[in-house]
Amino acid sequence: MKDVAIIGAGQTSYGVMPDKGLKELFAEAFIEAVNDVQKGIDTADIQEAWIGTLGTGGAQLGNFAPLLTEQVYLPFIPAQRVEDACAASTFAFRDAVMAIKSGMRNVVLAGGVEKMTDLPRERNRYWLGVSGDVEWERLAGTNFPGIYAMIAMRHMHEYGTTREQLMKVAIKNHRNAVNNPKAQFKAELTMEKCLKAPFIAYPFTIYDVCPVSDGAAVVILCRADWANKFTDKPVYIAGIGAGTDYLAIHDRKDITRLRAAENAAQDAYRQAGVKPDDIDVAEVHDCFTIAEILAYEAIGFAKVGEGGRLLDDGDTEIGGKIPVNPSGGLKAKGHPIGATGTGQICEIVHQLRGDVQKPDRQVKGAKIGLTHNVGGSGGTATVNIFRI
Amino acid sequence: MAGIVGYGVYVPKYRIKAEEYIKAWGNFAADGVKEKSVVGCDEDVVTMAIEASNNAIKSAGIDPKNINTVYLATTSAPYAEKPSSVTVAAAIGAEGDVRTADFTTSTKAGTAALLACLERVKSDDSGRCGLIVASDAPAAAPDSSLEHALGGAAAAFIIGKKNIIATIDKSYSLSMETLGERFRKRDEPYIRDLELRVQHLQNAITATIKNLQKSLNLEPKDFAYVVVQQPDGRAAARIAGKLGFSKKQLSTGNLAEYTGDVGAASTLLSLAAVLESAKHGEKILLASYGSGSDAICITVGAPLAAPKIEIKEYLQNKEYIDYVKYLKLKKVLSTFRT
Amino acid sequence: MTSYISLPSYLNTIDQRYRLIGKKCKSCGTVNFPPRVMCIECGGRDFEDIKLSGRGKIHAFTIISRGSAPSEFDDQQNMTGEFGVAVIELEEGPRIIGQLTDCDPNPEKIRIGTEVRATVRKLYEQEGVIRYGYKFTPV
Repeated sequence: MKDVAIIGAGQTSYGVMPDKGLKELFAEAFIEAVNDVQKGIDTADIQEAWIGTLGTGGAQLGNFAPLLTEQVYLPFIPAQRVEDACAASTFAFRDAVMAIKSGMRNVVLAGGVEKMTDLPRERNRYWLGVSGDVEWERLAGTNFPGIYAMIAMRHMHEYGTTREQLMKVAIKNHRNAVNNPKAQFKAELTMEKCLKAPFIAYPFTIYDVCPVSDGAAVVILCRADWANKFTDKPVYIAGIGAGTDYLAIHDRKDITRLRAAENAAQDAYRQAGVKPDDIDVAEVHDCFTIAEILAYEAIGFAKVGEGGRLLDDGDTEIGGKIPVNPSGGLKAKGHPIGATGTGQICEIVHQLRGDVQKPDRQVKGAKIGLTHNVGGSGGTATVNIFRI
Repeated sequence: MAGIVGYGVYVPKYRIKAEEYIKAWGNFAADGVKEKSVVGCDEDVVTMAIEASNNAIKSAGIDPKNINTVYLATTSAPYAEKPSSVTVAAAIGAEGDVRTADFTTSTKAGTAALLACLERVKSDDSGRCGLIVASDAPAAAPDSSLEHALGGAAAAFIIGKKNIIATIDKSYSLSMETLGERFRKRDEPYIRDLELRVQHLQNAITATIKNLQKSLNLEPKDFAYVVVQQPDGRAAARIAGKLGFSKKQLSTGNLAEYTGDVGAASTLLSLAAVLESAKHGEKILLASYGSGSDAICITVGAPLAAPKIEIKEYLQNKEYIDYVKYLKLKKVLSTFRT
Repeated sequence: MTSYISLPSYLNTIDQRYRLIGKKCKSCGTVNFPPRVMCIECGGRDFEDIKLSGRGKIHAFTIISRGSAPSEFDDQQNMTGEFGVAVIELEEGPRIIGQLTDCDPNPEKIRIGTEVRATVRKLYEQEGVIRYGYKFTPV
């Protein structure tokens, strides 16, 4: 099997962008990724594309990927839409990696895009509830905030996790996002403000929840032995772990754990031959505050039930033992569903190359990075490990 | 012989007090009603009927597969076409060869369905039981005085031939054309009443009760209990009093004071309350009203063995709401239409 | 919005939604609810129907505030504002998510471990058709 490297990464800003549609968002990320290839690339060398999206709004559900590739002057190549809810684009990335690993392709594009902010609220709430076990979970009257809120309640009940610990996730990630020009929110939060906010799904307030966002992200991959033709700073893929779980939380034996992510992490660590201790920086899926704590536990940064303590000790802040979500995470950087996973990879690429735009966000000397991307309430997950 | 082998009721949890109407409108037009039951936002006559029916099945101690008749009486079914009795049958687990029917368009639909169910079970030789459930939550325009009295509740009875706890001895029915009194045309959401100065209610019930007493050779004193249709909290007492019944005979089955007018479920909800306290051998006289009247004589037999949720429990388990919440539950303040 | 769960699909599950009929695996005895083609525990394919009592305990809960429910519940939220949703552990074993009804949606009053029973209520109305199904109410 061939090793694989990332030679270029690009993403749009995340946020509310009424003047940009799916095509414009994708093109913007694509152009940035192409420009990011240090020694340049002829886009005609890209042999195949894998693009993740949920398809929010339903405007373009069929033949989604070729519509985007032909817009960026890449007609005729195989292009596939990949859907695994909020983990769509890391599953797309996984397919792209495997296409190269198999020896079938040399240069492949992986990306993701989502347009979420142009819908009436009523339609938005429809689309936010399509990735669980719709028949049984949704009909109880809940979207994902409610599902994660119940996970949080159980986590608090079993392990004593506190609302303050949840809020520390949001406060940390908002602080990090201040130094991310592409983040949706660039304002710090205070504990007092968070705790006083009205509940939207108890125990969650608006500050426990990531926003809806527009955005796109693209990475360009090639076989590792070609990487130096394109760049002096390739980022190598050390492990691509993935897993699935029962979609409905009522079917899971322990609702405080995301088995899909645990399995993905074990798979990725085994492939990479590294341990949680070896990771220098991680981007994890904090769609809700509790989700970052679950992520710590799934990827082995903390024992099950003890994730909250990392926040009390400041271990996951930039400058801490293992910085998590230096980009601001989904919570503050934004969460354009299909773009989120490859967007995490973009951040890790910059962190490992040491070239994030604002030095305050840079995790110094990072050599091994990890992304953790979850679909729905844990029905799907990927964990990828990168090294320079 | 066929008779009642089990029964159960359901009264929704929410109540609104007369004072709330007085605060909102300056008056409360439902005579003698202190408070009334209010159907919850996720309830309707079907859900109330299912609860009451399940209670009745438990009290009779029968397997729902042993039911071959499901009759639902209501004036406020959720669908004008599509039988609600079928939904109730599916929900209680009465499957396959079951006869279902909705009895509707009159507040005497409850007794009409009870008598029809009795006749069905009597003439059926399968040995299976019938379920009759009266469930109602009539609605009127919020700015009409007719609306003030309207509540909601359900009562269900299992009719069978074995383990009878009360026999339905005899009935007398009267049909009476009425004009301008409690009506609702097709496609209209609310009942109307032109408030004509007529005595139809009193005349019809007086006629059926007197005729039934005469045919049985009984007098008011021979009955331990009397139940009369309750459009409000006073009408039943007025009519029963004129017919020579005492307050004591009426009070157990005069529930409108606490539930309001529960339409087609009125007399059967009261019958359930009376059965809870009646003793062996006691007679009950019941008379419904709605463009005519059915008067029925019932004799109490053996008490119920199986446990049941008593009406008392439902009447005590309550939560008071204010008038704005009431309007929301009645969907008066909603612009949302499905 | 148009339908998310078609009426024929809904009709296929009314035994579950109206009466909580589970499927007990003949190989391992596990009660599957909602039913599955293959047993969640052992993969077995032979089941017998079991009517669940509807009694259970709250395993986890949340309070869905106005605007946080799927759009088909807008009508209900217009009437009542917030409502409770819980994972219920049924006494026969399986867990299921359900809405809490006739229950004050106050997080100080609902507890993990609170005993509940199932009751059939209106879930929502769409295309002019009412969907009835189980909810749970504190005992």
